[in-house]
Amino acid sequence: MSGAGPPGGREPGTRAGSRPTDRPALARLLACVLARELRDGEIVAFGLNAEILLAAALMAQRLHAPNLSIRHGLRVERGAEIGPAAWTPERSSRSHELIEYLEAHDAVLDVANRSSPMRFCDVFLIGGLQIDREGSTNLIGIKGRDGRPAVRGPGSIGTTSIGTLARHVILFSGEHTTRRFVETVDYVSVPGWRRRAAAGLEGGPALCLTPLAVMDFADGSMRLRSVHPHATVEEVRRRTGFALPAGPVPVTPPPSPQERAALEVVDPFGRLDGVDLHPDGGDE
Amino acid sequence: MSRAERVADLAEAAALVQDGMTVGLSGFSYQNPPMAIVRALIRRGVKDLTIVSGPTSGIETDLLIGAGCVRRVVSAGVAFERVAGIAPAFRRSAERGEIVVWECDECVWHLALKAAAWGLPHVLWRGAVGTSLPELNPDLTEVRENGRLYLRVPPVQPDIVFLHLAEADAYGNARSAHEAYLGRSFSEKALAQACRGPVVVTVERIVPDEDVAGSPERTLVRGALVVETPWGAHPGGVSGRYVPDLEHYREYAAAGEARRRGDPIPYQRYLERHVYGAEHHDDYVRTIGLDRLEGLRMTPS
Repeated sequence: MSGAGPPGGREPGTRAGSRPTDRPALARLLACVLARELRDGEIVAFGLNAEILLAAALMAQRLHAPNLSIRHGLRVERGAEIGPAAWTPERSSRSHELIEYLEAHDAVLDVANRSSPMRFCDVFLIGGLQIDREGSTNLIGIKGRDGRPAVRGPGSIGTTSIGTLARHVILFSGEHTTRRFVETVDYVSVPGWRRRAAAGLEGGPALCLTPLAVMDFADGSMRLRSVHPHATVEEVRRRTGFALPAGPVPVTPPPSPQERAALEVVDPFGRLDGVDLHPDGGDE
Repeated sequence: MSRAERVADLAEAAALVQDGMTVGLSGFSYQNPPMAIVRALIRRGVKDLTIVSGPTSGIETDLLIGAGCVRRVVSAGVAFERVAGIAPAFRRSAERGEIVVWECDECVWHLALKAAAWGLPHVLWRGAVGTSLPELNPDLTEVRENGRLYLRVPPVQPDIVFLHLAEADAYGNARSAHEAYLGRSFSEKALAQACRGPVVVTVERIVPDEDVAGSPERTLVRGALVVETPWGAHPGGVSGRYVPDLEHYREYAAAGEARRRGDPIPYQRYLERHVYGAEHHDDYVRTIGLDRLEGLRMTPS
């Protein structure tokens, strides 16, 4: 997961500024970035509304990780028709046989032992109302000036325990704003690097994907790994509520012909088109 | 003597709830919420309930909060996926300090029910250390054992549990639809096993006992009180039977959001039309319309 990333593209510094992109193209780019991170033999898990990770996992199975296992939560909006198996018209690929549903929803309780071969997962995708420098996430709420919650969030859902027990957490945000990316989260749903170390937990978040950039972590702090072709380093820095280390930043490599072909197979109905993303980063 | 059937009607079942009770409700996101019972409870005007729902819950919890029946919520989240990232009545009441949220995540929620089912004073859990849960939920504490940090989770024990499932026999053996591909079970067993009192299951239909006895491995809950309530999860879905009515969810979410922003009229209208104005569940079904409901039905694949 956290090993060598893909080779960087050209340096974006010479471009004049931000160019528009459309949401479907951006969702496909993010699926490719994620697919490149997944390794053969790993177990990926995700909950509701995680089309990008699902597409990435199905792509990785075709491209370089044929033994990747998928533990999918439920996308229940459309009922039974939306199973990942149904996503893949090529039933002969048998990729759907590597998909295990959280059929009994308390299955996650059965193995809290990360080193067990029956472990729950290696890679887990999570989001947050706030994400901070060390990669802690917050789905609980946002404090007002008086210290009381001014915004009540939905709750931590399944993120806390699975995020704590997974080997790798990948953070995902549909927007890139100073409201989302803050120095320190108001409440912690899933702890980042420093908080994990303090609680005696190994590891921490590996990667953070946004509509503008890919970020990873060095010494427990977020840094820029690449900026998407339609964005600039300057706007990413401006839209991040903490300082990102200086240095050259490559462009996120666009989908390769092989990746494009795999995307067409794993997403024949264009489910990625509906992913909630703000290509411009979203309103501040 | 013949074997006693365990069949009740909706009003009898709703009458089992008293003010201040801890009430467990099925429903994961859009699936299997016991909405006919929820609407009956609101019409009864019960107050100060502790709702144990989820692990991540939806409209069954939000509607009870919006109607003023709830004092405390034990759930890992209250949301409608894409329709509303935060359920509107939950958000409004929590921000106004009108409800207490028992802050947890899905695993902690399940563990609290397990502790109740197992009769334990607490269980220890490694997930969720290093988070804000113990800061926000005084029932959760971090403890150190053998040099490692754990979260100590106490039991949460419902006084009564209401589930909605596809089918049951008249003796209270309830299960999901055979056709269910996604989600044959969510939290039904966890809630039923933790409960100190009656478990009530509303079902789409009552099936012959021979059918249930023929596939005992499919039975999720035994000995429940059964209420035949077709479309009883609407606007939620029932795995293998019908999909959630997202248009209805959007209408509800818009009304809830308007109220949160200061205009109570649309929410009041929603309650009048779908809860207070439909005295019996059959009235509700007529209000929604059978054509519309049939349009949600899953066709067996």
